[in-house]
Amino acid sequence: MEFTSVLFYVFGLSFVASAALMVSARNTMKAAMLLILSFFSAASIWLLLEAEFLAVTLILVYVGAVMVLFLFVIKMLDVDQSTLRAKFTKYLPLGIVVAVIVIAQMALVLSAGQFGLDAVAEPARHAADYSNITELANLLYTAYVYPFELAAVLLLIAIIAAITLVHRKGSRSKKQNIAEQVSVQAKDRMRLVSIPSGKRKESK
Amino acid sequence: MFKKAKKLVKDFGLSEIRAGMKITAKQLVTDKITVQFPEERTPISPRFRGLHALRRYPNGEERCIACKLCEAVCPANAITIESEVSDDGTRRTTQYDIDLFKCIFCGFCEEACPVDAIVETHIFDYAFESREGSIIDKEGLLAIGDENEKAINKARLEDSKYR
Amino acid sequence: MWQAFVDLIHQLIPWFDGGLADVVIILIKGVALILPLIIMMAYMTYAERKVIGYMQLRIGPNRVGPFGLLQPFADVLKMMFKEIIFPSKANIYLFILAPILAFVPAIAIWAVIPMGDGFYITNLDVSLLYVLAIGSVGVYGIILAGWASNSKYPLLGALRSASMLVSYEIVIGFVVVTVVMVSSSVNLNTIVADQSGGIWNWYWIPLFPMMIVFWISALAETNRAPFDVVEGESEIVGGTHVEYSGMCFALFFMAEYINMIMMAVLAVLMFFGGWHSPFEGVPYLESWFAFVPDIVWLLAKMSFFLFLYLWIRATFPRYRYDQIMRLCWKVFLPLTIIWIFAVALMTQLEIGPWF
Repeated sequence: MEFTSVLFYVFGLSFVASAALMVSARNTMKAAMLLILSFFSAASIWLLLEAEFLAVTLILVYVGAVMVLFLFVIKMLDVDQSTLRAKFTKYLPLGIVVAVIVIAQMALVLSAGQFGLDAVAEPARHAADYSNITELANLLYTAYVYPFELAAVLLLIAIIAAITLVHRKGSRSKKQNIAEQVSVQAKDRMRLVSIPSGKRKESK
Repeated sequence: MFKKAKKLVKDFGLSEIRAGMKITAKQLVTDKITVQFPEERTPISPRFRGLHALRRYPNGEERCIACKLCEAVCPANAITIESEVSDDGTRRTTQYDIDLFKCIFCGFCEEACPVDAIVETHIFDYAFESREGSIIDKEGLLAIGDENEKAINKARLEDSKYR
Repeated sequence: MWQAFVDLIHQLIPWFDGGLADVVIILIKGVALILPLIIMMAYMTYAERKVIGYMQLRIGPNRVGPFGLLQPFADVLKMMFKEIIFPSKANIYLFILAPILAFVPAIAIWAVIPMGDGFYITNLDVSLLYVLAIGSVGVYGIILAGWASNSKYPLLGALRSASMLVSYEIVIGFVVVTVVMVSSSVNLNTIVADQSGGIWNWYWIPLFPMMIVFWISALAETNRAPFDVVEGESEIVGGTHVEYSGMCFALFFMAEYINMIMMAVLAVLMFFGGWHSPFEGVPYLESWFAFVPDIVWLLAKMSFFLFLYLWIRATFPRYRYDQIMRLCWKVFLPLTIIWIFAVALMTQLEIGPWF
């Protein structure tokens, strides 16, 4: 057995185990941590397949950004576990139906013989100086440039939409103009007055 | 407009950050004023009021005559005195305790003493390891006095012209 | 000599088609890198206390050993023998996980950082991205510490510092994009190799504003003053560190300092020519300084940046939190985007020796 196979089984096991534990974890924070572990395991498996750009991007985007925002939401929201659990039985039938459909779909796809080594050839091993990211960039900016640009524009629209949703111009907001605060000088706020000394006006 | 451009240049040129860093860089190389305490000490006024001591006359006789003026004047009730008539017919203390936890180092005992027996020395870096250690008895006070008689004398001499 | 050593290990451990031997070699390399790193980190704390002391007209630690040089070891001993206190309402697993999650990424980044010509643990093709990715994992240490402590101040510190870290990561990402555009590579080895040939070939000239933006963002990324809102002693006592003691606290501390060293090295690699001598191509100076090993240049440049950390800390008061966010989103982000366009223009026009 090659050492990389050992690594594959280790990462695969941690991937499946962390995913299963994530679904069954009661503590939301713990579940989020287990999800991060499963992301890491997936990234490691991709690294074994020489897809280092994809692996690093997975960690950068999902672990570094998306999950952090998730944890923020978990922290900020006061999730009441008991009310969530109270409706568990109410939605159980629907949940079972959805789960059965998903499992059936996956079973159909996976058992169709599309994914075995006989159907898909093992990815070719490349020399050490082979640059994964250069190949990817060549494809993205030539053959797939329109889908790539479209996806970028789509994300931009999403950002602008999100900002417009929260951005309100109204009299109720009491936000500070920090630029003004920062640029304030001593002479804007303070006036030095020289008052002639010695002579005193007689008070009535 | 011109003013705004000038401000922009100033802000993005980090002028105030550079000014601040120049000051700290200057401080980095200036002489340090730290006094390395156990080896070096700052000068102390002759009137400094530190740890207490009981003094003796040059012939070895205790100065204290158990008049209890210090006990009476002490605003913190830190002094406890018991007295008896001694063998030679003079009045002497049998007990002279100072509780350093109570003492506020006001120096009133020193002022009140008619025979300059109780004084406050320049010792300030003392420590005790148990709670009872805060109470110094007569033997302890006399020992401090014997040990520091020279320094006490010198300080009193220096201060005498202002009294 | 290194090759002979590698062959020896391969002979000693013949199982797994040599795969295990490679792992052993990587482990040895890792230990050889981490040990000096930890010592460097320990003396960084000493240097910090000394430099800041001098800037505040004090002397700093001077009791343990000559000039206080053994102070870091005294600190380590103290930390190791201190009790680790667990708050009774804390989530113990996450409470312990937090310092580990802060420390491990700080160490893991060093796997791809080259310290000299061919002097690295792995030559990962996407090493710059790897640094960004693993660096962004460190924020979990702070978030978890704030949440698991079940205490007010840690939560406040974690909230504001986590949002700060995520924001400044974006700025650092954009700065890295400009560097990648100039060198057209995300491999740190290639980026440094592109900067060979004297001080005017280094990237700090075409990317001068980006270098400053990167450095200020690096201060924020490592939670250093004036961006140390996570601790904020005068506001929230000690932030996420409030409930931590002993080795648990020491791990946070070590992670912070190792990240500082990492950021300093990264700045040198990206903008100051890595291990290249500044005198390359200068007639006489080049041959005079030819005997200096390349790692010495790297360490010298790195030391300057580490000194800058301390200098800045001694100079500036803490930023107000909303101003930190303003600086990130309203000043740095537009500036970096403008400079990306400028770099694109410069690349097209092939200005200078950099493109």
